[in-house]
Amino acid sequence: MATETEAETSPRYGERFDWLDRSLAVTCAGSLAVAVLAGLIQVSYGTFSMSVLQAWSAVLDPLVWTNPGVIVSFLFGDAFAESLGLITEVDLPKETLIVWNIRLPRVLVAAFVGFNLAISGAIFQAVTRNELASPFILGVSSGAGFAVLVTLVLVPTFAAFLPLTAALGGTLAFLTVYAIAWQGGTSPVRLVLAGVIVGTVLNSLQTALFFFAGDIGTVQAAIAWTTGSLTGVDWEQVRTVWPVTLAVVAPGLVLGARQLNVLLLGESTASALGMRVERTRFLLSALAIVAAAASVAVAGIVGFVGLIVPHAVRVLVGGDHKRLLAGCAFLGPALLVGADLGARLFFEVVFNEPTQLPVGIITGLVGGPYFLYLMRKRQSLGKL
Amino acid sequence: MSRSDAHETEGTDAEADPTADAIDLIGRDLAVGYPATDEPVVECERVLIPAGEVTALVGPNGSGKSTLLKTLSGQLEPWAGTVELDGEDVYAIADKRQARRLGLLSQERESPSSLTVEDLVLHGRYPHRGFMEAVTEADREAVEHAIDLAGVGHLRERELGNLSGGQKQLAWIAMTLAQETDVLLLDEPTTFLDLRHQLGVLETVRTLNRERGVTVGVVLHDIAQAARFADNLVALRGGSPYDWGPPDEVVTEDLLADVFGVDASVGPGPEGPTIRPHRPLDESNESDE
Repeated sequence: MATETEAETSPRYGERFDWLDRSLAVTCAGSLAVAVLAGLIQVSYGTFSMSVLQAWSAVLDPLVWTNPGVIVSFLFGDAFAESLGLITEVDLPKETLIVWNIRLPRVLVAAFVGFNLAISGAIFQAVTRNELASPFILGVSSGAGFAVLVTLVLVPTFAAFLPLTAALGGTLAFLTVYAIAWQGGTSPVRLVLAGVIVGTVLNSLQTALFFFAGDIGTVQAAIAWTTGSLTGVDWEQVRTVWPVTLAVVAPGLVLGARQLNVLLLGESTASALGMRVERTRFLLSALAIVAAAASVAVAGIVGFVGLIVPHAVRVLVGGDHKRLLAGCAFLGPALLVGADLGARLFFEVVFNEPTQLPVGIITGLVGGPYFLYLMRKRQSLGKL
Repeated sequence: MSRSDAHETEGTDAEADPTADAIDLIGRDLAVGYPATDEPVVECERVLIPAGEVTALVGPNGSGKSTLLKTLSGQLEPWAGTVELDGEDVYAIADKRQARRLGLLSQERESPSSLTVEDLVLHGRYPHRGFMEAVTEADREAVEHAIDLAGVGHLRERELGNLSGGQKQLAWIAMTLAQETDVLLLDEPTTFLDLRHQLGVLETVRTLNRERGVTVGVVLHDIAQAARFADNLVALRGGSPYDWGPPDEVVTEDLLADVFGVDASVGPGPEGPTIRPHRPLDESNESDE
């Protein structure tokens, strides 16, 4: 046995938080600042005009924070709050009502969607060992989107179960992708190719569904879904997305980071180290699907976030997955809250018209050029 | 500790072994292939990696050395036959326990460029750690010892992307050493290395074998090197063992002609047989496989 390791070298690695270094701390703090600032701007402006100060004091309104009934009914729904015997009917000032009922949930949903998409992309990129992978590329978004559309257009009575159908659609699409790619094991390239195939077919089906839509309103809703939009989200969407995020995605990350790191040493190495590679890969994929489906269910298919956030974070903090996932957990929300700020207020501020864009258009407009920049700057792109 | 009768002994012979806790690795009646192949790539009645010794698998390209090693390491389940580690079926051992006993340095591996040597070596502790478990003192000790043994102490903070091929190889060997297995299987650990690093790797393996009694199976490209380095050779031809035993019995002019297809003369040397290759033999002289 090794008894005589030099006593004076006290190895630093493996300490609980040794992975939290400066670059990561700066990334997280910066992202958090951007998200908070964008969120505050978001709640301050809108059709109902109020001053920035008014808006911010509305966010901090003690009438909300000191009333558990109000908070609980936001997070769990009125019925649940009442069943606990809490008072949900509180007379709130108009500013507080607008900020809390209309503007704040949108910021929160944006943050959760950004978080989930970024995490989903980071996991998919590691699992397929492909930098170009994302929930979108692997057919998951299309599958979830298709399921959502089918529900909206063909069986609108099931609209309450959107998150469920989205997750189901995403899972089915990914299973199909996995099955197509499977040949006694999978490879990153085959997975991505199969994802493109399945995604293409599903996108065609989505478009085809438009022709079956009864009225123009449904078509518009459907288009908003497929481009990804946060217009009109409220606490209901928050209630949809937060339990999944906190109960499934976040714990999964804590457990999955080291598995992802070992997986990146190559299948043979991971397997020789005693990892059941296919099973681990499948469970991690499931986690990524849940994350993607949760965000598709509340915001539709928001493109590029799952692709570029992990990239940007990798540039900032390196490839270790503890750091990478932590960075994604902050930068994802920052990007999406910021992008949604643009989506909601750009026309209003610049042209003084109350037109809102789907946020997916902004992320596409930001993400495309960033990706182009990456592509030009780096010699090789693709293999992780 | 020369065991000239290794290839004649049938069955396990642990009682005759001076290193009592060392462990034999035996493959029996193996037929190994890949999903894409119709015929088995390796067929082999019996192959033994004797406990506490260094055994080199040698043979020309495509003779099935790596495939056989993979099967012995529990990573490629044979179509038929068994692999036993200390009398236990390797393919029946749970994955992590298997990885605590059998280490494999595969040739197919990826080196994430921003990973430091230290972190890579720490990954060698994977099979020893629970799902959530933090790094323990034993993990640290194993990592330190592995880094020491592989001589990569000066590289520990460096990232893999900035290392030369030889340095990277040593880092990977350190990772495999940190696994602290009873049996260590290495697939061509010296390929692509300059002479100095080749000798460094072999010396590390030898030290580990001597100090800890670790059983070593290693695929080597260079038969002359294998003859100097290993206690036993297993020479493979067309997926089957041609001969095995200590180098001075196995390495003959006939073997070099039959297995490697070269005309060479073999003479005695101070540390195993010396080989002077002359010229390649005609293709027609090679066996049909």
